[in-house]
Amino acid sequence: MLRSRKTWLYLAGLIFLLWIPFSGIGGGYLQTLGFLTFLYVALSTAWNILGGYAGQTSFGHGTFYGLGAYTTSVLVLRGMHPLATLPLAGLVASCYALLWGYPCLRLRGQYFAIATIGVGEATRLLMLNLDDLIKDNAWLKGVLHEGVLTGGATGLMLPTPGDIHSYAFGFYYGAMGLMFASLLVSWKVKNSKFGLGLLAINMDLDAAETLGVKTAYYKNLALMLSAFMVGIGGSIYAQYVFYIDPQTVFGFPMSIAMVLMPTIGGIGTLMGPVWGAVVYIVVQDQILTANLEFGDFKLSLSSLHLLIYGGLLVLIVLFEPKGILGLHKRLAAAWAKRKKENSGKDHPPAGSG
Amino acid sequence: MGQEEEGKFREGSSPCRVRVRFHMAAIIEGNNVYKSFGGLMAVNDVSFQVHPGEIMGLIGPNGAGKTTLFRCLTGGYRVSGGRFFFRGRDITNLSPHAICVRGITNTHQVVKPFSDMTVLDNVRVGAFFGRGWVKGEVKDATQEARRVLEFTGLLPKENFLARNLTLPDRKRLEVARALATRPEVLLLDEVVAGLNPTETDRMIHLIRKMRESGITILMVEHVMRAVLGVSDRVMVLSFGEKIAEGTPQEVCANPGVIEAYLGKGLGGR
Repeated sequence: MLRSRKTWLYLAGLIFLLWIPFSGIGGGYLQTLGFLTFLYVALSTAWNILGGYAGQTSFGHGTFYGLGAYTTSVLVLRGMHPLATLPLAGLVASCYALLWGYPCLRLRGQYFAIATIGVGEATRLLMLNLDDLIKDNAWLKGVLHEGVLTGGATGLMLPTPGDIHSYAFGFYYGAMGLMFASLLVSWKVKNSKFGLGLLAINMDLDAAETLGVKTAYYKNLALMLSAFMVGIGGSIYAQYVFYIDPQTVFGFPMSIAMVLMPTIGGIGTLMGPVWGAVVYIVVQDQILTANLEFGDFKLSLSSLHLLIYGGLLVLIVLFEPKGILGLHKRLAAAWAKRKKENSGKDHPPAGSG
Repeated sequence: MGQEEEGKFREGSSPCRVRVRFHMAAIIEGNNVYKSFGGLMAVNDVSFQVHPGEIMGLIGPNGAGKTTLFRCLTGGYRVSGGRFFFRGRDITNLSPHAICVRGITNTHQVVKPFSDMTVLDNVRVGAFFGRGWVKGEVKDATQEARRVLEFTGLLPKENFLARNLTLPDRKRLEVARALATRPEVLLLDEVVAGLNPTETDRMIHLIRKMRESGITILMVEHVMRAVLGVSDRVMVLSFGEKIAEGTPQEVCANPGVIEAYLGKGLGGR
């Protein structure tokens, strides 16, 4: 019975989400928030395949997001249809993942994490300076379009469509589709031979290797799959906002966000990254617009939002490493115990009285 | 078959090391294996043969290089010199997973269970990725895993998390996982160490049962009762060198072995 109630609850939630753009409640605000949430759920889920299932913490997923966004922008500016660039964005991110994943994934634990930070920053700097690097090269000059490839620090501007409302309307459902697709992939991975191998790698690399798991191959495959999904996410973002620059899409905060969301929600689980992303987006949204006023003294919280995430992360790692899902499990267990005790009091077991 | 000829060829190519060979083809052969860590010769010119279906013990004082030799054989370390052959095929310096799917696997001296997986899932990893799956002998990993768990006596605990197992059960799990890969040769690294006498007997029983099912076993062991009681042949390492080989009785009577374990007697002067 409980199970069916849960199903109904999920169904109601889904219908509500589908209905938001039609309703116009919140004057489009909810629609934007929804779009961002779906996008970030997809990113979080993608990161979780490598970071959660395989246990390889990557602080460099921002590179895939950025590459996806840039691939799309660069191609669209050369006249390609935006939607046709989606798979290409994923592929570019995926190939780039193989390029640095192959050497970096030989490193273990925190050394891999440190290497990914380096890769992320290096990529951001490369994208900032790419135009300067190729503008004098006789061969590469051909790829420039009106003198720019990546636009350096100014970034790239995409043409804005005429009917912006129906455009955003479509992207709401597009992002939702991406979210469900990524969840499906994550679920498939979790329940497959591939997922079992990743989990084995996560638990003990040497033992996995002894039992025949091709650990290097599997880790690379997980990274590429993860990168592909993040790349598509970046592509959708670029199409939605029409403007990208290296600081936004390649920035370290983006990489950190992808680590934070699954950690908040419950690392290595299917639904953890979802709840983590929801909390992340909602908290971010609330904080960025909130102001504290104490008489004459005003404090804008927007500058503090990373601080709050940092504090949240410390609390989670210290007290509930399994995140929201772990907390939920613990509370549910406590609740069930209390309920049992209460019912025991009301109806003493037969024979005792 | 080819492996006979190959064997002859190798002998011919190094005429200074011709030695009498057993008629029975060796399933595993190590030829003049070296392994050094910096200046330390952990394994020094060790040659040995393991025959199909036998239990071979590998003993020696602490730091003799037993585990190092194991790790060289299963791909954990790269050898500094020498070759390993499995059924006449060169397997030197292959990576552990490649060695596993060829039919050789090992257990770890320090048990390495996948702590947050259930016992069943632990064993499923072996069934999924081992030789049985690759060769198509295993069709359903879960079914195979249950079969192995029954064989090793862990079936009642299939839904336990590996982290909650006791040490004897973890050692059993280590063996079960390795078995699920359908090995031809199983390398046991101190599976009896740390067990009480009853548990030791159960483990020895399990080792015999595995041999009866056709698996060749090479075991490193410190517990003499276990290794001498169960082995067909024993090889002794000391400071990286092979100092004796033979039946348990022969080895026990060997003065060199006694010296390595107990030191030189005063009366020997």
